[in-house]
Amino acid sequence: MADPLLSSLKIASSGLQAQSTRMRIVSENIANAQTTGTTPGSDPYQRKMVSFQSELDRVSGAQMVSVDKVNRDDSPFILESDPGNPAANADGYVKMPNVRMLVEMADMREANRSYEANIQVVKQAREIINMTIDLLRS
Amino acid sequence: MIPAIGASLPRLQTGNVETGLAASGASPVGKTAGADFSVVLSKIAQDAVTTVQSAEAVSIKGINGGATTQAVVEAVMEAERTLQTAVSIRDKAVSAYMELSRMAI
Repeated sequence: MADPLLSSLKIASSGLQAQSTRMRIVSENIANAQTTGTTPGSDPYQRKMVSFQSELDRVSGAQMVSVDKVNRDDSPFILESDPGNPAANADGYVKMPNVRMLVEMADMREANRSYEANIQVVKQAREIINMTIDLLRS
Repeated sequence: MIPAIGASLPRLQTGNVETGLAASGASPVGKTAGADFSVVLSKIAQDAVTTVQSAEAVSIKGINGGATTQAVVEAVMEAERTLQTAVSIRDKAVSAYMELSRMAI
């Protein structure tokens, strides 16, 4: 039987890992928010989404979290009139990425908050462990 | 090394330690009335050293960019915890030994 406190440290750590990956995907989306194609009518950068799955750790029997896969967002691209752009189609419209800043900001904030929550778990578990070890002193 | 505090006691309750030692193949404590308390202590010290060493390895990997920040922090925290536990147990054992040596005869 693994120590539940040590297990919670491990689980929180897996949460940190997962939220870091989510943060990476958000930053990719934001950085590529203006990335168009290079040939006329070609597709621009497609927004990415991350999904999580729970994962059983066989040693401790704990449910960890991990990134399941990074999907592409299939929502339609935003058309913008820009005839001078090399990616513009015959009508002078350029397909812009389906990245919406507001959505990305909300996602980023959520990743931040989840990360914070996991950090709190680590802090509390560590405090409890230290309290227990301190019983030996006195 | 500290010579077997447990030998002077009727029976040492080392159930948890015993299972840990059985895995590593060391001589079981408790069954021999705690004759080898120094073995337990040296195993704890060994564990602490190994954990600190692996924490250092992960830290260096992190500096080179090979490990994530979380992994580095986790390894260092584990090393700290192991060391703290080892030090606490040693202090307890030493104080028990001192207590015995101060005993009025």
